[in-house]
Amino acid sequence: MNNRLEELRSRKGWTQQELADRVEVSRQTIISLERGRYNPSITLAFRLARQFGVTIEELFLYSPEEDEDE
Amino acid sequence: MSKNLRWMKKQQRLGWTALAAGLIFAGCGLILARVADLAFNPRIITGLGILFLGLGVAYLVRYGAAQKDPKSVGRMVIEEKDERMQMIRARAGNRAYWTSTVIVYGGLMWVSFAANGSLPALSADGLWYFLAAAVILPFAVYAASLIYEQQK
Repeated sequence: MNNRLEELRSRKGWTQQELADRVEVSRQTIISLERGRYNPSITLAFRLARQFGVTIEELFLYSPEEDEDE
Repeated sequence: MSKNLRWMKKQQRLGWTALAAGLIFAGCGLILARVADLAFNPRIITGLGILFLGLGVAYLVRYGAAQKDPKSVGRMVIEEKDERMQMIRARAGNRAYWTSTVIVYGGLMWVSFAANGSLPALSADGLWYFLAAAVILPFAVYAASLIYEQQK
């Protein structure tokens, strides 16, 4: 799933580790999320969205075609 | 007691428990090898003891590292509960489970065919190697899956 994590994180001036500490996951998870290799749980998606003050839909860009590819 | 302190205490407790269990098993294995004439090889018990000793040392090393650098404890706790890591462990566990099932089912089939003479019966050595593979291969699949999933 595509997302705007890297863009919003850079805008805040946070490192991957800082964001990881804020939402209580490992840095590797943030890396995987930013590369679109990992889809977060709904609770992590909420935690991330709240950190940036946006909605989940603004942060994660869902496209039904991806479901068909999987 | 804070979450991090509880985690540290748990590492310490698990470490000493595993170390004690390791010493008891390894000691029993070594003593039995010298004094008793057993139907099985007591090296299995010694091996189990060595495994527990290794686990105990690993837990205590983590506890020691956490004590030296209290700031890192939070990250260790987070990494242990990290949802992606839990998913990776679950996937690896699933693959190990299916590996184990296939091996045991294969063994069961072999024994069934051997019973009616279609296949040669397993010798004592053959059975030992088969059972060793049934223990080691799922572990290997688990470890390989962890590495593969983490690099993905």
